[in-house]
Formats: sequence, structure tokens, C-alpha cells
Amino acid sequence: MFRCTLLICGRGVPKRFSSAFSGESALPPNLLLPTNLIDPSRLKRPPPPADCSLPLLRRCDAVVPAHLSPVQTWVETLESLDSEPLGLAQLHPDVFAVPPRLDILHQVEIWQRNFKRISHAHTKVRSEVRGGGKKPWQQKGSGRARHGSIRSPIWRGGGVSHGPRGPTSYYYMLPLKVRVQGLKVALSSKMAQDYLHIVDSLNIPTPDPQYLLDLIRQRHWGESVLIVDVGAEFPDNILQATADLKTVNIIPAIGLNVHSMLKHEVLVLTLETVKFLEDKLLWHDERYSALYPFKLPYSDFP
Amino acid sequence: MAASLTLRTAVLRRALLGPLNLHGRTTGPATSSAGLQSYCTVAPGGTNPAIIESTEEYRFVERLIPPSRVPAPPQHSGPTPSGWIPPAESPPALPYMIRRSRMHNIPVYTDLTHGNRKMTLVRKVEGDIWALDKDVREFLKGVTGKELPTQVNEVTMTLKVKGHYDVELKQWLAQKGF
Repeated sequence: MFRCTLLICGRGVPKRFSSAFSGESALPPNLLLPTNLIDPSRLKRPPPPADCSLPLLRRCDAVVPAHLSPVQTWVETLESLDSEPLGLAQLHPDVFAVPPRLDILHQVEIWQRNFKRISHAHTKVRSEVRGGGKKPWQQKGSGRARHGSIRSPIWRGGGVSHGPRGPTSYYYMLPLKVRVQGLKVALSSKMAQDYLHIVDSLNIPTPDPQYLLDLIRQRHWGESVLIVDVGAEFPDNILQATADLKTVNIIPAIGLNVHSMLKHEVLVLTLETVKFLEDKLLWHDERYSALYPFKLPYSDFP
Repeated sequence: MAASLTLRTAVLRRALLGPLNLHGRTTGPATSSAGLQSYCTVAPGGTNPAIIESTEEYRFVERLIPPSRVPAPPQHSGPTPSGWIPPAESPPALPYMIRRSRMHNIPVYTDLTHGNRKMTLVRKVEGDIWALDKDVREFLKGVTGKELPTQVNEVTMTLKVKGHYDVELKQWLAQKGF
């Protein structure tokens, strides 16, 4: 086991150094550090420079406001372990570079936890506790305090006054615009923290989970990964590979939510997912308030 | 008992309806008998009129389905008859930017709380909001002659000014090209 990790270190580290610090040498080349001591943020691929020779694989469909410029990221591929990025993608600044509203993120997270919560805490009041119908002793003459029931709230074993009563719903709804803003802020913060990766497709060569784990470790993506794809069918290989992994999960784009994004360190989107998310989220910036529910027909619903 | 009751009600109804029928008999029977006859002739013959499904007229329904997006305003140069002013072609060269609202208006609003606390709210300020704060103070000092208290919220990107100065601020921002 130890030899195996050493081997991996020996194989991986010099190459990584050579790729990450091609120009400057921050660490001496003969220094062999275990992988868990190396700061992963220094080994990550930096965001693309302005004059990159790689092809632009995606442009924003929506109009970018004149005072903003689209965000550029790498488009990677999952086809092989050590492959260079395929090209660049432009992301819309109103989805992937909005100002960080932590308050909205918090609101949405609390809402997601609470709106489906049912509290089953329940206590019995004095009438529901068994017994206690008879006056324990007569009103006068016994020298004891007057009592009418042995289940009154001041008795041990009596009923509870003002206790939690029965299943309580904590349902409430945040305004749609706040929920949408939460999604945008979550996507933008992942982007700003370099935790958002764009891939061309989810095709991987083997259904082996170890392949995915190796790929994630080799690219220094992070501890946990959420893979998002639009479309009804995921490729079989990635379904099988992620089925038993606890830190690598896949989710359809329609189910993408703030809680899952915050729960995972890294977000991996496909190119179609980016288009889908931009379509859906930018629509909220130019829509009317609902005339009737949005599930009913509108002429230009995205 | 129940049977006798229903019988009685039937008799009553006939008694009540009788005069009415008599009254309307002059025009009634011709149309009613005709309808009855046609029904009788179609039913035994077995030749039901075929149902034709037409999608031709559905476009009139589609015409009624409303859009969900606010349309982009048509090209104007200068103020429109309604008083709406289009934003400048390119954003002004200032350290801050104020985007239009989704209805293409300048996001300046008034606020009245506690019955008498008048505030003007400038929303959607991107970039250096403190520069805008400085400019607004200067502009309003020229308008009112006194230094007005302002409140800057960088997180929500809003600027509040004490007093109702929405008309002046809107005009000032439109003239700047926002």
C-alpha cells in the first residue's frame, strides 16, 4: 500500500510540477512532497489568459450588457486522464459573475431545509394523559393543597401545558426572484472560487469508479464533485461509475439547487447544461410578473 | 307517504305549468315539433354527421396567448412622446453603472416609512457606488443648497438619499446616459 502511494507520488509529482510551474520554480525540483501536503490551489490550472490560442467552443447566446464582458473558462474532457483542455467557453456574466449576495444564499439554503420539514414533536395535554378523572382528595379538611386532577400540569406525570402539538408544517415559499438569484450567486461563487469546470460531454471510457477518482485527483478538482447534465439520459458509463461513489454525484440540470451546490466542493457542467442554465436563469431578468401560473402556456416560455 | 308526496307534487307542477303552456302555444309548437322530427329521422338511419377536426382556426387561439418576456423598446433618438428616455448607445465612461429595470426605466424609487420618513432609493448600482454617492451629494447640493444625508449599501447595491428627489435624480441619470 505504502509502496503504491510512493509510486503514485513519484510518477505524478514531477510531471505536475513541470506542468504547473513551467515558468517559475517555486519549489526545488528534487523535493518530493506527499500529495496531501501540497496546496492544491497552486497546482490547479489557472484561468485562461486573454490571448489564448485554443478555439472558442461556446459563445453566449444571450446579449451581454455593454459594460460587462463574458467570463472565459477552459472546456475540459473526461475522455482521458491526462488531457489538455479542448478549448474555451464564454459564460454569461449575469449568471456566472453576479455580485456575491451571501444573504440570499443563506436565505435559500434555510428555505430548502425548512420548507419540506414536518416536525413530529407532540406532547399530551392534561385531558389526553390517561387517568386523572377523580379528584385526588377532598377540597377541604385534609391539610393538603387543593387539587382537582392528578394529571394537571403541575403534577409529576401530568400533562404538558404549551408543549409542541402534533405534526407542524414549516412550509413557506421564497419569492421566485430570490430563489433564482440564489442559483446565480451559487454558480458565480463556484466560478469565482475556481470550483466550476466545464466539460464537453460526460462520456468516460470505462465504468470503473476508480477512473473517475483518479481523474478528479489528478486534476486537483477537490474532495467532492457534483456532475450536472441536461437531458433525459445519462451515459451508462458515468452512471455506473458514480453509482457507488459517495463524493461524486450526478444530478440533472433541472434539479440543480443551491444546497447541492454548497454541499459539493466542485461543480462540473457540460456545455449543454451551461446553455440550459443561461436560458432558464436569464429569462427571469426580462420576464413579466406572472399573469397566471407559469406552467400554463405562454408564447415565449423558455 | 313518499309516493303520495311525489304524486301530489307532480299534480301541482302540471297545474302550474298548464296555463303557461296554454299561453305560449301560439308560437311554440311549430319549432318544437320540427326539432323533434329531425331528431327522430337521424337517429334510426345511423348516418351520424362526421366530425371534422380543423387546426386552421387554432392560430386565433395562439394569437391570444400572451408573451412572458418584456419586449425590447424600439429605436428612439431622444425623448419619446411618453417622456421615456432611451439609454445611451454605449455606457457612460464613469466608474459606476446603473442598469435599467426590466421595464426599461431608471431604477430610482421613492420610499415613505413611518408616515413621514421620505427616502429616495437608487437601485442596481454596479461598480464604484461611493463615486456615485459623491456625485449625487454634489448634484443635490446644487439643487437644494444643503448637504443631504445619504446611505450606501454595497451588498444590495443601493443608494438612499433623504428626501424625495426621484424626479431630479432620474432626469440627472438619464442625461448622463444611463
